[in-house]
Amino acid sequence: MKNSLRVLRAERRWSQAGLAERLGVSRQTVNAIETGRYDPSLPLAFTISRLVGQPIERIFSPDGDLR
Amino acid sequence: MLKLDLSARSTRAGMVWFVVAAVASVAGSVLGRIAGPHMLDPTFPARLLMTCGLASLVVAGFSTWRMVRCRADAWLLPLAALNLALLEPGRAGDAATWRAEWAVGGVAATAAAVALFGRLLARTDELQRHIYIDGAALGLLMALPLAMAYALFESWLPALRAQWVTISLLLLWWAGWLITAFRYR
Repeated sequence: MKNSLRVLRAERRWSQAGLAERLGVSRQTVNAIETGRYDPSLPLAFTISRLVGQPIERIFSPDGDLR
Repeated sequence: MLKLDLSARSTRAGMVWFVVAAVASVAGSVLGRIAGPHMLDPTFPARLLMTCGLASLVVAGFSTWRMVRCRADAWLLPLAALNLALLEPGRAGDAATWRAEWAVGGVAATAAAVALFGRLLARTDELQRHIYIDGAALGLLMALPLAMAYALFESWLPALRAQWVTISLLLLWWAGWLITAFRYR
């Protein structure tokens, strides 16, 4: 699964730690999601979607086609 | 409500508290074992040694609490293994009349530790839980060749005790956690 979380975070000038705090997870979790090593659960994906104000399919994509 | 610090510096601090807890546990146990049999001997400083031992155990308890505050939960696994080896809560005493007390005390302490660890696991975020579960699976896999090796060389090895099996499983879970956590670092 590919995602654009790093780009969306950078646009908002948030650090990984800052995003982690907003999501209520560890910085390690944010880093693992951004680097594609870990796919978040649906509840966490929805929380991310709400936080960045983008639909889930714009953030996560199974084939890396994120527009 | 427990406020948690999730920074890497805090995790390193957690490891330092683990070392303090481990050293204090060993010191407390050793001092207690030395002082115990001499408590009625007026020529031996048993009370002083026992007091130092109890103080060490208090330091170990405080360090364990600090570890939890620093989010070094996984280091509770080797610490639990060390304390199982030191205190042997599952082992009955030599006097038959104390066996029930030892058994109840051991089971109660172990149940409290398991319940506390369960609460800590429930409080971690989803990746941390994933790492714990993957680590446990990896630990069980690593236990298989060890069990086979023991079966092969059983006649040359000492008789297996339930305590050692528990200690080994805890250490293997921790090893599995370390490997899995490294993958997601």
